[in-house]
Amino acid sequence: MAQPGAATRLLSQLSRVVLTPGRGVSTSAARCVDDLTLKQVEPQDTRKSLLSSEEVQHQKALAGYITVDTPDDITHLTGVPEEHIKTRRVLIKKPSKNTMQSGTSNIHKWYITFDQRERWENPLMGWASTADPLSNTVVDFSSREAAIAFCEKNGWQWSTEEPPVKPPRVKNYGANFAWNKRTRRSTK
Amino acid sequence: MLRIGVSRLLQHGSRHTAASAAAASAARAQSSAPEKIEVFIDDIPVMVPPGTTVLQAAAEAGVEIPRFCYHERLSVAGNCRMCLVEVEKSVKPVAACAMPVMKGWRIKTNSEMTRKAREGVMEFLLINHPLDCPICDQGGECDLQDQSMTFGSDRTRFLDTKRAVQDKNIGPLVKTIMTRCIHCTRCVRFATEIAGVEDLGTTGRGNDMQIGTYVEKMLMSELSGNVIDLCPVGALTSKPYAFTARPWEIRRTDSIDVMDAVGSNIVVNHRTGEVLRILPQVNEEINEEWLSDKSRFAYDGLKRQRLLYPMVKDSSGELRSCEWEDALIVAAKALKSADGSVAAIAGGLVDAESLVALKDLVNKLGGESTCTEEIFPDAGTGTDLRSSYLLNTKIVGVEEADLIVFIGTNPRYEAPLFNARVRKAWMYNELNAAIIGPKVDLTYDCEHLGDDPSIIGKLLNGSHPFSQRLNTAKRPMIVVGTSLLARPDGGVLYSQLLQLSQKLRSGCEGGAEWRVLNVLQRVASQVAALDLGYTPGVTDICNHPPKVLYLLGADEGAITRDQLPKDMLVIYQGHHGDRGAEMADVILPGAAYTEKTATYVNTEGRAQLTRAALVPPGMAREDWKIIRALSEIVGTKLPYDCLDDVRMRLTEISPNLTRYGEVEEANYFTQASALAQLVSGKQDTTPIDVPQKKLEDFYMTNSITRASPTMAKCIAAVRKEAANRYIE
Amino acid sequence: MLSSLAKTLASVRGVRHIHRSAAASSDALFSHVDTPENNVDTPFEFTPENLKRAKAIMSIYPDGHKKAAVIPLLDLAQRQVGNWLPISAMHAVASLLQMPRMRVYEVATFYTMFVRDPVGKYHVQVCTNTPCWLRGSDDIMAAVQEKLGIKTGETTKDGLFTLSEMECLGACVNAPMIQINDDYYEDLQVSDTQEILDTLAAGKKPKAGPRNGRFAAEPLGGLTSLTGPPPGPGFKVRDDL
Repeated sequence: MAQPGAATRLLSQLSRVVLTPGRGVSTSAARCVDDLTLKQVEPQDTRKSLLSSEEVQHQKALAGYITVDTPDDITHLTGVPEEHIKTRRVLIKKPSKNTMQSGTSNIHKWYITFDQRERWENPLMGWASTADPLSNTVVDFSSREAAIAFCEKNGWQWSTEEPPVKPPRVKNYGANFAWNKRTRRSTK
Repeated sequence: MLRIGVSRLLQHGSRHTAASAAAASAARAQSSAPEKIEVFIDDIPVMVPPGTTVLQAAAEAGVEIPRFCYHERLSVAGNCRMCLVEVEKSVKPVAACAMPVMKGWRIKTNSEMTRKAREGVMEFLLINHPLDCPICDQGGECDLQDQSMTFGSDRTRFLDTKRAVQDKNIGPLVKTIMTRCIHCTRCVRFATEIAGVEDLGTTGRGNDMQIGTYVEKMLMSELSGNVIDLCPVGALTSKPYAFTARPWEIRRTDSIDVMDAVGSNIVVNHRTGEVLRILPQVNEEINEEWLSDKSRFAYDGLKRQRLLYPMVKDSSGELRSCEWEDALIVAAKALKSADGSVAAIAGGLVDAESLVALKDLVNKLGGESTCTEEIFPDAGTGTDLRSSYLLNTKIVGVEEADLIVFIGTNPRYEAPLFNARVRKAWMYNELNAAIIGPKVDLTYDCEHLGDDPSIIGKLLNGSHPFSQRLNTAKRPMIVVGTSLLARPDGGVLYSQLLQLSQKLRSGCEGGAEWRVLNVLQRVASQVAALDLGYTPGVTDICNHPPKVLYLLGADEGAITRDQLPKDMLVIYQGHHGDRGAEMADVILPGAAYTEKTATYVNTEGRAQLTRAALVPPGMAREDWKIIRALSEIVGTKLPYDCLDDVRMRLTEISPNLTRYGEVEEANYFTQASALAQLVSGKQDTTPIDVPQKKLEDFYMTNSITRASPTMAKCIAAVRKEAANRYIE
Repeated sequence: MLSSLAKTLASVRGVRHIHRSAAASSDALFSHVDTPENNVDTPFEFTPENLKRAKAIMSIYPDGHKKAAVIPLLDLAQRQVGNWLPISAMHAVASLLQMPRMRVYEVATFYTMFVRDPVGKYHVQVCTNTPCWLRGSDDIMAAVQEKLGIKTGETTKDGLFTLSEMECLGACVNAPMIQINDDYYEDLQVSDTQEILDTLAAGKKPKAGPRNGRFAAEPLGGLTSLTGPPPGPGFKVRDDL
């Protein structure tokens, strides 16, 4: 179990995620597992009572998660070609409101976007084609930190942009009828 | 790899302070803020300042109330009634957009009454709305479509015939299908309040009411495209974009506009390697959510007149396309044999990365003169001090000013969104404006002080009647156009202005922190070029012609072939076959602003990144890469291999160039004005003039716009309108 | 078989017939179309007297709010031209009040009493709303059309009369009625109508008001109620109060 390997790495991923809730993408699932273990009734195991105290200690040590203090890095596991790890730049930002519409529900999450690669139109059918699978990836995160963690885990260079700040704005219907201000409206 | 990320992360703190400063200035405008009151939105308690509308309070609680006529940047109209909500103990539903909240109100945004009210309003709105969504350009991003799905009824009770309204012709940019109009009057309010062109209105009444111009005329505004965004239905759509694409097919890339020096944030909408349209992106500190027509519609120029292949002039003097290798070798040979007699001129659309690469290359080859096409006087401190060539008060700073004086500039066409900001301050903050230069229409009241350059001197010594007002202003702003500084006596005038603003600074309420003097640049590359140490103006090159001249997107004709010796080799690198390519011996095709991830610094000194939405067409390549490749062939390899290395080099020269989104403070007026006192020279008596006086001068100012058929149509339409007697 | 099917279908769609109504649109256009009579070059200038009147009207309103005078000024312009308001008059009002032309167009199109198309010397406006219709406005309309030889919305060849159909003009108690320029002619018979038009055609001014002998809106045959003297104080009050 202590041998370094893919499984340990994965496990450590999981443990980090669980240990720092609100960080990762997969927190919700992990939290569920956590809740379940809490709720689980200790199973009646007859073998347990036969164990020596040292063995119990040993088992206890094995029961929890193993934390590895190296940065998350799953680039070896994902199988993503090196070209798509080392040369990609990811922009992490909250999208700004689409000025064509007044709705704002889709601007509260953090999105990652990859730099554009060549896209072309299929000369026969007119389909839009690309050789870049990552540019079609849309992943959203509840926080900037989660997005950063995801990018670092995948070995992408990232940069973030601040969401637009909204200055307080005083809206006043009465201003349309102000008698001595330039806000007076003469339109219907 | 990680380092970049961390450094970005570290910058967040400073950005936050900028944000809070903006909030603080807004708070100052409200003066002594009264204590907040508590209201309940769907039982969620929210504390809001008194006078907040129900709709804003709900937004504060994270509840979005549907609306059509309400727009946060326009005045409250309250005519669509879509925002009706129930307020506890109120007999009738309340229009959330116009009603200020009272203490302890319980607002129900999802109650039976609210839902019934919305459904009823929706039914009425749809009575006369055609069911042509399948052929409507707004389809997929239509507020009416979305809201009727969410809040409307699932059946109709209306069996009569729908009305039809005549479409209007309001110019080559905005297409009108007036039958679809729901009379929210957003466009009317935009034209009246933001654009300052009172040509749109509502005629008739009741069932006959319609939005339009009443008489046949064009909407003569440089901001007219914004009504397309504002229109919540498909009544006003984009003419160039008509029937092109659906919003869900489009890929969006956030970028920066380079048509003027304001650096508006944009979203490039593209599909299959083609820009389909450009929309504004919200940035409160620059363009709010507006975009000028040139920035919005000049994108079709990106597809025409492009340089697709490297070209070299053959023995008969004709340019022939060739391989990159051949062109680079010809260029390299020339550069090498020039033996240091190399100079470069940068144009107005060039990014900071290629500027630094070119300057490094020229310097490495032993050349001294790297110039920009835009002129800036070198009298006094010239461009040595950063605050001398920036819009120092920033664009948001206009909202704090109480008096603004334009000198030798027409901000309406040189920087439409800056002008929109001035108009906003004029309307809401009682800002007063004056102009020295030709009498132009700035869309707001502007005192015309004359076009005599001696007025500046008179203001300095206090003998002008306007001096009184200037001296008593609490936060005065002086905005100088670069066309004034390009005059032969620009240096003298500028030194006078430096002294004048220094005098005003000491007297004004803003104190030393308030920077009076602002330079309004016209082209996107200028500030970055000056930051990197480019020499403004090409006089140096005219006086000492080099053997090889490298034009980096220099298309404004600052220098012509006739001025140069016959045996000089001209290398042109750029994206359009325009004036620069015309006189070149070697052409290296570069990338336009939508095709590269590059740094541009706006007139405030704010570095921003454009992001590549497309790849350069044909064999064109990113500009810094071309210069880097050339340097290797010449034998003076530039020490950067990737974009991060170039950015590192930029940071080395001037760290502000990579602090994206921020304005680096610059305040060296004391020094600049002290040195300005030493400047002496002859002052011209030629009246102050600006190149862009009328709307038709606005549309074509660079190589992209000159290649754009839409811009050509705009000019033709505006010229035709000159004969229209209905235009005042 | 087929006819019964058709009947069934008709009964299913019967609801349609109940709701069916003409599209309620005005016959006037709400965007300007240049005509030889009405275009930007149509001569209009306030006469000196009217300019004086205009100044007087404007002086009622405080400084900075002079544009509130737009309605009376448009009315003045319409009276000066004679019953209608050319676009050049709107422009004149706009420049006098220093307001954008569009804002004047908005006002002029909103109010139906601003007539934006040329009309004859006498604008005959026949009310055809319910009370007038019940009292025989159809006959009046027919009489006018026959007399003048024009249909609704047309002008006689001599340019004297224009006929318009009006919505309620507020004289229901004297129905049927027509309005000619500023005057109401009420309680009309067909013969009255013909006489009025004849008088106008002769260049004279017929007597305005009710035609059946009434002074105003009182009952024709004398009072039918409130005939006695009004009861004094304490009328119908309990004795013990």
